[in-house]
Amino acid sequence: MITAERKPLAEIIDSIDDCRRILLVGCNECVTVCSAGGRKEVAMLASALQMDFMKRGKTLDVREMTLERQCDPEYVEQLAPYIGQVDAVVSMACGCGVQEVAKRFRDKRVFPAVNTKFMGASEGPGIWAERCHGCGNCLLGLTGGICPIARCSKRLLNGPCGGSSHGKCEVSDEIDCVWQLIWDRLKELGQEDRYEEIIEAKDWSTERAGGPRKIVREDLAQ
Amino acid sequence: MTDHTAEHNKPILVIGGGVGGIKVAMDLSEAQKDVLLIDKAPAIGGLMTQLDRTFPTNNCDLCTISPRLSSGAREKHIGLMPLTQVTSLEGEAGDFTVKLVSAPRYIDLEKCTACGECHKKYPECVRFVPGLDHRAPTCMRYPQATPQAFSIDMAACLDVDGLIKCCPANAIIPDDKEKTETRKVSAIVLATGADLFDPGKLDHFGHGRYPNVVTGLEYERIMSASGPTLGELVRPSDRQQPKRVAWIQCAGSRGINREDVSYCSSVCCMYALKEAIVTKERFQNDIETTIFYMDMRTFGKDYEGYYERAKDQYGIRLVRCRPHSIIPEKDSDDLRISYATDHESGMITENFDMVVLSTGFRPSAQTTQLAETLGIELNPHRFAKTGSFQPVSTNRPGVYVCGVFESPKDIPETMVQASAAACMAAKHLPIKTNEMPAAEDIYPPERDVTGEAPRIGVFVCDCGENIGGAIDVASVVEEAGKYPHVVYAEMAGHGCGSEALARMQSVIKEKGLNRVVVGACSPRTHEALFQETIRKAGLNRYLVEIANIRDQNAWVHSNARELATAKAKQLIRMAAFSVAKSGPLRDHQLPMNKNVLVVGGGVAGMNAALELANQGFKVVLAERNGRLGGLASVVRRTLEGDDVRAYLNQLVDQVNHHEGIEVITNAIVVDHAGMPGKFTTGFQIGPRMYYRQIEHGATIMATGAMANRPGQYLLDQHKAVMTQLDLDDFIEETPAPIADWESVVMIQCVGSRTPENPNCSRICCQTAIKNALRLLDLNPQLQIFVLYRDMRTYGFSEDAYIEARRRGVIFVRYQHDAPPEVEAAGDKVAVRFIDSVLQRPVEVTCNRLVLSTGLVADEESTEDLAAIFHLNRTEDGYFLEDHVKLKPVDMSVPGFFVAGCAHSPRSIRESIAQAQATAARVQAMLAQDTINLGAVVARVDPEKCATCLACVRACPYHVPFINEDRYSEIDPAKCHGCGICAAECPAKAIQLACFEDEPIMAKLEGLLERIA
Amino acid sequence: METFEPVIVAFCCHYCAYTAADMAGTMRLNYPTNVKIVRVPCSGKVDTIHMMKALEKGADGVLVAGCLDGDCHFKNGNTKATKRVAFVQKLLEEIGIEPQRLAMVTMSAGMGPRFAKIATEFTEEIRKLGPNPVGAAKQAQAAADKVA
Repeated sequence: MITAERKPLAEIIDSIDDCRRILLVGCNECVTVCSAGGRKEVAMLASALQMDFMKRGKTLDVREMTLERQCDPEYVEQLAPYIGQVDAVVSMACGCGVQEVAKRFRDKRVFPAVNTKFMGASEGPGIWAERCHGCGNCLLGLTGGICPIARCSKRLLNGPCGGSSHGKCEVSDEIDCVWQLIWDRLKELGQEDRYEEIIEAKDWSTERAGGPRKIVREDLAQ
Repeated sequence: MTDHTAEHNKPILVIGGGVGGIKVAMDLSEAQKDVLLIDKAPAIGGLMTQLDRTFPTNNCDLCTISPRLSSGAREKHIGLMPLTQVTSLEGEAGDFTVKLVSAPRYIDLEKCTACGECHKKYPECVRFVPGLDHRAPTCMRYPQATPQAFSIDMAACLDVDGLIKCCPANAIIPDDKEKTETRKVSAIVLATGADLFDPGKLDHFGHGRYPNVVTGLEYERIMSASGPTLGELVRPSDRQQPKRVAWIQCAGSRGINREDVSYCSSVCCMYALKEAIVTKERFQNDIETTIFYMDMRTFGKDYEGYYERAKDQYGIRLVRCRPHSIIPEKDSDDLRISYATDHESGMITENFDMVVLSTGFRPSAQTTQLAETLGIELNPHRFAKTGSFQPVSTNRPGVYVCGVFESPKDIPETMVQASAAACMAAKHLPIKTNEMPAAEDIYPPERDVTGEAPRIGVFVCDCGENIGGAIDVASVVEEAGKYPHVVYAEMAGHGCGSEALARMQSVIKEKGLNRVVVGACSPRTHEALFQETIRKAGLNRYLVEIANIRDQNAWVHSNARELATAKAKQLIRMAAFSVAKSGPLRDHQLPMNKNVLVVGGGVAGMNAALELANQGFKVVLAERNGRLGGLASVVRRTLEGDDVRAYLNQLVDQVNHHEGIEVITNAIVVDHAGMPGKFTTGFQIGPRMYYRQIEHGATIMATGAMANRPGQYLLDQHKAVMTQLDLDDFIEETPAPIADWESVVMIQCVGSRTPENPNCSRICCQTAIKNALRLLDLNPQLQIFVLYRDMRTYGFSEDAYIEARRRGVIFVRYQHDAPPEVEAAGDKVAVRFIDSVLQRPVEVTCNRLVLSTGLVADEESTEDLAAIFHLNRTEDGYFLEDHVKLKPVDMSVPGFFVAGCAHSPRSIRESIAQAQATAARVQAMLAQDTINLGAVVARVDPEKCATCLACVRACPYHVPFINEDRYSEIDPAKCHGCGICAAECPAKAIQLACFEDEPIMAKLEGLLERIA
Repeated sequence: METFEPVIVAFCCHYCAYTAADMAGTMRLNYPTNVKIVRVPCSGKVDTIHMMKALEKGADGVLVAGCLDGDCHFKNGNTKATKRVAFVQKLLEEIGIEPQRLAMVTMSAGMGPRFAKIATEFTEEIRKLGPNPVGAAKQAQAAADKVA
């Protein structure tokens, strides 16, 4: 899933300080699951913003809405009846959602309330960790199902750097050295020889280097 | 009320409708056994209804019991015959024939609405129980009387025609006759109580001659809101508020003089403390309170703390002296008392405005007569005779006794014996197979209120002085009428009284209410009652909200009327806002597991197991140690001299050979899950420590306590120092050397009534006397000193105390802050103490120093068990009962019951009574075939669910799962109703029924929204 | 100006804190009338939103009261509540509201005196802090609206 984290309140407040009425929009997909922008976080942020405004002798009218999926125009359309009543939209969805809202309502300011972080997995209640970088050319079959691009600080493809020590990365000992993990996993699989195979220099054009990407399924596209 | 019990059934006859009798009837009816409850009075309630408040909670809890007698399913099982007595008994247990004679009431119970017209117009011919003042008769005895009807004294009526005409209900029957009826009954429970001593017979106290000398009960009546002065505390002579009130304890008790009885009435110390505390609560320093006492006998569970609070927090003066007489002051209504103290040599004279005589219990002549009719033996004090190990059984099989007629006792002990008697009496009924019809048919169909705008009715109790004394109820009601959606508001008086409940029902119907708010006491105790009431009025039971304006308002802010009134308004406003957002809910049900787990294989556990197994239940008895027996296996003799070991051996034998009981020893509880009626408890069972799970519907905690062994006074350092238990064993096993002993010193309260273990161990005073007497039997020349703080030989054990003194045992009081000093003196021990009479130090070199070390909670064990079972404990580590008076053996976790020393220190006999009581309570619970799970369960809105797994991960019981339809599902039968998932859900897709976000938010709005 | 009387909301779990509050009543212990109790089955039922909303609506202090550590009737609702309270406290700090206005407390059912003590002390603490700035602003606004 796409993970995100609420922005510091000061930043959100700063962006909407001149507003009196806003539409605060959550998303019932990824950001709900990572507790950054579901119905509950929308309510919390609405409450915090209103308290802040009130405390400063101002008022802020917040309309709370949570869309099933903010990255689909049909769902975004559900905002239309309310958009005229507000000065701005604050989105708690990932960057995709924010942009969908901005695209649909061209004359309305849209502000993100979360920082979209990464594609990740849940490591337990309340913990999410980066797992995929979206490089467009998956190597996981070669690396024991563990991604060196998303999980190596240097994105190295052929073993660890000199900074790997006791299985940890030199960037932080909170970070596992992914090549240690890959090696352990290959050993478990009895595929140590895989480690010896050289992965060729990666063609980064399938990643951001090739410009913004798009997928088209001809059979489905209308 | 009429007798609903079917003719062909042989019910259990309960004689006496005081709290004890009511409890017997309720336990039996809950267990779906038929009961015939008779009382010679026009209404049930007994002595307790005359009390203002009761210790140690200082509230009147009768309101919790009495209205329920006439409620719901119980009506089907309880036949009530007031004004009725037994005149003969024939047959035998299981098949008795009794002759019942009912006095005429001259009022048709079916018609009387208790409107009070007859009483208004012809007060002289409406029967009442004499109170303090004849001008204020309360023929209804108390506002919640059952049956709710008047009673006429036709002999006193001069204008019968007028009386008949004045009754708007046409209920007067002028030619009503005495009725005699013969009934078959299976067993009989005597709960006739006792009278209170009439101190008018003692001329030196002047009761009856000096108006300001009153008895404890009269003082209660003066303070009671329903009493002759409507709760105003004034002295009888001049109607002025007294400034100095004295209590004289043991008036007519613990004496040898004319009109005295020798025994102790067990309750007077506590009630005097209570009366003094309540006085202080209401009047603080405006009234000085002094109690003259001999020994302060606060031996009940946590009573010592009550005593300490009376002294330290309320500043009640306690003078250890028994004044001889009360002298009237000339030219005034004041009273003079002369007394002596330890500290001064001369007599001290002091004046009081009012003196309260703490009078105790006396068996009534009627009860003595009844005993003769029934052919049961009485003890020398004319109380019912029972056995050491059969605390509620009389000599006649099938006839049981409970409460004060058995021996003087307080309400909690009465309630325990009542449940015990219910258990024993039920044995004479066949075990039922066909069950009563479904509960629903006693309720009218439920009105569908969906779509209706809220129409809220607000009922605000005054609970006598309890609420009304601290807040302005009328203004609360007036204000409540203005809240949104509130269409009706009224004062409800004692809202839980049957009259008020009936009124609530009719108001609901009349005003078309669809929501109700009750300003009352705690929903913890009364929610179910009000839920049932609105259900009877056709509303879903979850459309009522209780504002706790008593326990959490009136009681804590009695010093600030205005603020408390304002708070009551806010609490009711919150409740009204919240109930407006509540909707109807359904209860969920599951089949009941009827097996019972008893934890602890001591006397209490074994008795509970046996009684239940005899009633056809399958019982697992789990004992932590390798063998059954518990604490009793180190006791040899009871105070009465019975052989404990012989009793224990036959008990163990019975338990081991009962096919309904499975005994598992070396069994340690390791885990526990489930709900009342469907528990699973895991054990590690030694010696191999294999794991086994037991499924059961109810659990009895009978884990006992530990003999205390504090390292004081050279115990375990010098071989001449031992505990009373050691001595007990010594006397049985190696009595020979005792003949050569010269002196023995006993020290009481070693390790009890101290800051570390503040409570009284209850049994040590009797134990010391028991052992002293046995020593004297073996060596009549032996000099025995008992160093004590208060001798607490309550009830009939006072006789043994008298005998010990008669036989030369020397009792010397010591102060807590000047304990005896002990030093080794060769084989002997030298004990130095200050003689409180001589006021000088005395030294005794004794052959043995015996320490009364009492009991302490097995903290480690109760802590573990409390953690595993989620049970509550007292501060000193005993298990906490649900309600100290009303539910003394139920625990606050439904499905759990407690018996024996795990509850508090007590004698074997008292433990057995508790064990039998738990058996009755378990039977009552397991009489239902289904478990009502209530409605408090979490529900998922599939539309909102993001299948994020937050609930799946957060639930402490692993109930939610993502179902095939791709949303989280929560099985209501498994949900425990904590609401953790609802609070955790990031999509706000989960709501906990009864505690949804909307009503909670509404409560906050009700509190915080500024009124424009 | 008259002395400031704070409004305090106490979310009390049914099994321990609410029972302790009843016990305080039974023992006739006094504490300030400022504290108003909202009964919940478990402190773990108290949503972070409830805590925020109470303050947003103008409560000057909010207590979340659960069972003693390790004694939760529902196993661990109280530890969850403790974490949530800490989370909301941080959020409050971010918008410049004193985090002390929100507190987590624990007690057993038998601890009537502890409930009364906490209620008294917390009320005092909030009294010292002064009115919740949100509530105060709200009131000023309401007053201004009235004039207008």
